[in-house]
Amino acid sequence: MTATATTPSTNRHGDEPLLSVRDLRVTFTRQGEEPFTAVDGVSFDVRPGQTVGLVGESGCGKSVTSLAIMGLLPRRGNRVEGTATFDGTDLLRLGSSEMRDRRGRDIAMIFQDPLSSLNPVVPVGLQVTEVLERHRKMSRKAATPLARDLLKRVGIPDPDRRLKDYPHQMSGGMRQRALIAMALACAPRLLIADEPTTALDVTIQAQILSLLKELVQETGTALVMITHDLGVVAGLCDEVNVLYGGRIVERGGRHELFGQPRHPYTNGLLASIPRLDAERAPLTPIPGSVSDNLPWTSACAFAPRCSQPVDVCTQRTPQLEESGSRALRCFNPVGGPR
Amino acid sequence: MTATAEPTPAETPVDERELLVDARGVKVHFPIKRGVILDKVIGHVYAVDGVDLQIRKGETYGLVGESGCGKSTLGKAILNLEPPTEGSVLVDGTDVASLKGAALRRRRKDFQMVFQDPMSSLDPRQSVESLLVEGMKAHGLATDAKATAKRLRELLAAVGLPAAALKKYPHEFSGGQRQRIGIARALAVEPKLIVADEPVSALDVSVQAQVINLLEELQDEFDLTYLVVAHDLAVVRHISDRIGVMYLGGLVEEASADDLYAQPLHPYTRALLSAVPLPDPAAEDAREQILLVGDLPSPSRPPSGCRFHTRCPWRQETRCDDERPQLRVVEVDGVPASHRVACHFAEEIARGEIQRHEVTATATVQDWRGEDEGDAIGPASVAEAEADARRTSSASSQVTPPGP
Ligand SMILES: Nc1ncnc2c1ncn2[C@@H]1O[C@H](COP(=O)(O)OP(=O)(O)OP(=O)(O)O)[C@@H](O)[C@H]1O
Ligand SMILES: Nc1ncnc2c1ncn2[C@@H]1O[C@H](COP(=O)(O)OP(=O)(O)O)[C@@H](O)[C@H]1O
Ligand code: SF4
Ligand code: SF4
Ligand SMILES: [Mg+2]
Ligand SMILES: [Mg+2]
Repeated sequence: MTATATTPSTNRHGDEPLLSVRDLRVTFTRQGEEPFTAVDGVSFDVRPGQTVGLVGESGCGKSVTSLAIMGLLPRRGNRVEGTATFDGTDLLRLGSSEMRDRRGRDIAMIFQDPLSSLNPVVPVGLQVTEVLERHRKMSRKAATPLARDLLKRVGIPDPDRRLKDYPHQMSGGMRQRALIAMALACAPRLLIADEPTTALDVTIQAQILSLLKELVQETGTALVMITHDLGVVAGLCDEVNVLYGGRIVERGGRHELFGQPRHPYTNGLLASIPRLDAERAPLTPIPGSVSDNLPWTSACAFAPRCSQPVDVCTQRTPQLEESGSRALRCFNPVGGPR
Repeated sequence: MTATAEPTPAETPVDERELLVDARGVKVHFPIKRGVILDKVIGHVYAVDGVDLQIRKGETYGLVGESGCGKSTLGKAILNLEPPTEGSVLVDGTDVASLKGAALRRRRKDFQMVFQDPMSSLDPRQSVESLLVEGMKAHGLATDAKATAKRLRELLAAVGLPAAALKKYPHEFSGGQRQRIGIARALAVEPKLIVADEPVSALDVSVQAQVINLLEELQDEFDLTYLVVAHDLAVVRHISDRIGVMYLGGLVEEASADDLYAQPLHPYTRALLSAVPLPDPAAEDAREQILLVGDLPSPSRPPSGCRFHTRCPWRQETRCDDERPQLRVVEVDGVPASHRVACHFAEEIARGEIQRHEVTATATVQDWRGEDEGDAIGPASVAEAEADARRTSSASSQVTPPGP
């Protein structure tokens, strides 16, 4: 595929990853239950100024990946293995207070449901001011006008009045903006956004996505975008990782991945969504559901739903094989072996 | 509901006898109550505020619009599950609101609803068999045991579930399978009209397509008429013959699915369509977005005149603020009479005689409060705010953030 648009901002910012996740594995161990591996050896890099997407359907391990990196998984009942190196430090080995400090200073996260990350009994303006005081060591007097500017910056109309609003008085879109303002208040170098627009209307989603795009361009913040929406990925991400059953099954630049999907799952996803930008055509669903998955340890988990499995698919584990900017985990890729 | 070309609605004028649903001037207003025993009505939510809607036999009508614009309420009003405050709804020639007792029960089976979240609409303690038989019994369709058993097998086969599913309970199924059960339950009573409220929005993309295809197959097989309510514009376009776009309780544009997407005429429809992210990076890079600023106004305080005027990038000095536009046929070359728009300036906009301009954003305050107390002084610190909240909550034993 001939990419017309500018390629990933990788070129702009050099090749040193800011965050490097290697072999991340999260196993939930509940008493009386079989251990369950939600994230199963995930590796990816994020460079400064780059937007990296994690895409896949519900339960494939997107949120658990981000929570593990942020040190936000429940303290008990799970085992986290692998490394997540941020600026030379392995985040997975940090103590909880060191991690809290990092979260305020270098890394911020925004969630699907902004209400759950805002304090319901504290006015929004005060919550932003708090962040500035705590993490940027500013005085109240200096922080207040900056908080106001941040609310304005993220497109909250009439910020002087909105400073005093409580979260429940704001619409979903305004709350998500307030949360982005709080994330920006610590001028993070890495922002992790977990389905930040999934709960929002499409016109509001468009506003938030364009805001995130601007921020990445202006501040050089690296963005990890977690979503199930292939459209969001296509417009926003320099590099896309497709997850299935806790593993990355395909990776590529957005133009390559959408122009030439190689994994039958990626290909199947694209064939199963109705398109606004083409003639109406029959949909080709992926049969079955994730409950049909086989264990990765002895097969390709996707085999029962795959449109083109071969014998080996149910006998061995396909490995993620890298070639250039792409990676693929499949014995019989779409378009044949290369 | 097929993707193949059919005669456009323009060529087949609406024939009264062909109408399954004929709704006129439908309004649904919910009172907002305050006070200790909730006896004081302090306002209304104008959830549906004057809608005319006709659905022909055998067609799929899609309703789209943003959250809270009244799609679900309109769907329920058509089935009289939410009795309209004003207006009339004829379904198959009968005014459902006038029916009572046995007559109502008999007609009820003709109209079924399929919901977004199959889990919450299925009783978890009932097996699939009992879920399906329940409705059939209620409508006197399960008299003969042998015929019932046969019917159950047919229903499961129709929605693509194995016969073994009968003995299982809803939690034993995946989301997509549960939606199939919800559809089977609606089908069990042999309805004429199915109102499907967000039937696929809780499902994964890969499973969504299975259910969309299933709905299409069932329509052909059982001669069904659908009203599909959804916020996903690509899904609605795929599934619908005709589409109505709602904004704040009213229809702002109505057209065949192909006409609407080929040439959206209402500024809101244009903005809505331009906001949908496309799964194609080249198209995304080339896309010209009409970014709306600000929030959807509260349906309890809809703007005067054209309800879209607070966010409309084409708003004009005259008419927009004080005259509510009605759905009307527009005089634009190539636009058929079946394509109707509620905008005073649709022609001028379509011909490019009026240009887009900047809009100042407004935020919508989510609760009921006066406009003039913005200067109330908030707490001085997080600790103070939390202490305030604790005091309030221990007094009323309910956490209500200290609002004005
Ligand atoms: N029983 C009710 N009492 C009071 N207000 C209601 C009631 N049902 C709905 N509303 C209000 O009416 C308006 C329209 O609601 P409705 O559920 O029809 O929206 P919708 O278009 O289906 O939105 P969504 O996409 O979120 O489902 C909303 O403001 C809603 O809060
Ligand atoms: N705290 C937890 N305890 C046990 N299982 C969990 C927990 N959190 C998530 N999971 C499981 O891990 C898998 C991946 O979840 P998640 O990352 O949230 O998926 P998604 O890709 O939708 O974000 C799911 O099967 C989920 O049920
Ligand atoms: S490894 Fe085999 S089963 Fe898995 S996706 Fe590739 S072809 Fe399909
Ligand atoms: S009537 Fe005026 S405000 Fe309403 S959509 Fe048309 S141009 Fe915009
Ligand atoms: Mg998630
Ligand atoms: Mg609804």
